[in-house]
Amino acid sequence: MRVRDEQKESAIREKAMEMIVAEGFDGLSMQKLARAANVSPATIYIYYKNREDLLNSLYNMVNHTFAEVALDKFSPELILEEGLWVQWKNRMKFILEYPVYFQFFEQFRNSPLIHHEDVKSSEFKENMIAFVRNAIKRGEMKKMEPEIFWSLAFGTFYSLLKFHVQGKSMMTDNYKVTDAKMKALLQMVIKALKPE
Amino acid sequence: MENTAHIHVFKTNIQSEVDKVAIRDLLDSHHQIEKWNVDYEDIDCVLRIVSPSIAPQEIIQLITSNGYHCQELD
Repeated sequence: MRVRDEQKESAIREKAMEMIVAEGFDGLSMQKLARAANVSPATIYIYYKNREDLLNSLYNMVNHTFAEVALDKFSPELILEEGLWVQWKNRMKFILEYPVYFQFFEQFRNSPLIHHEDVKSSEFKENMIAFVRNAIKRGEMKKMEPEIFWSLAFGTFYSLLKFHVQGKSMMTDNYKVTDAKMKALLQMVIKALKPE
Repeated sequence: MENTAHIHVFKTNIQSEVDKVAIRDLLDSHHQIEKWNVDYEDIDCVLRIVSPSIAPQEIIQLITSNGYHCQELD
């Protein structure tokens, strides 16, 4: 009889994500994964129905972790500037502390897998929608397409952070982001979001 | 989550939908089998069965008597 083993399960998950990040989705086979995680293929099938089931549960787990980190100290009631600042800091924490999760997250969301019925959307989205609605109601920002809002509010931040993660930009080989730089960018973003 | 003691996994040569059709009725109608699936994407064409009471030997016999290869995956 086989018993559920948390350690084995987490080894399977971590190795699977590492393999996908390094070699893409096609690089993941149950056999290779079993060898890398030092378990038998049968063990993997105890936890997951098939490869698709494994991928979906990895995504749901990463999404859950992301939501937990991103919603820490966040409330949809926060004023726009404060709420965005918390979001930026939290998302930065996620990217820096869970780099493999973050890369897997991006790969998964850019693949057709994201449309699978087993992929759950999180409470995170509802929180963000409420946050934006409140900001519009309070007159802190104008109404705009969600995609335009995202590009301004988060696209800017992700671009800046990318320079930091890569450690270089078009101007320097040693780029580091600081709170002061992020705050300066946030001021510009807030200004751009304001109603005329 | 399923009780792990109720899950049995086998290496088979059930490689396609056609093969699956051949064993589908057999497994669907078996009163001891709660759920089953075959992972064709895998080289071992893993047959996974959820059943609280069936013995692995019975499944092997069921599948092999229908002309397919089936052995417990370890």
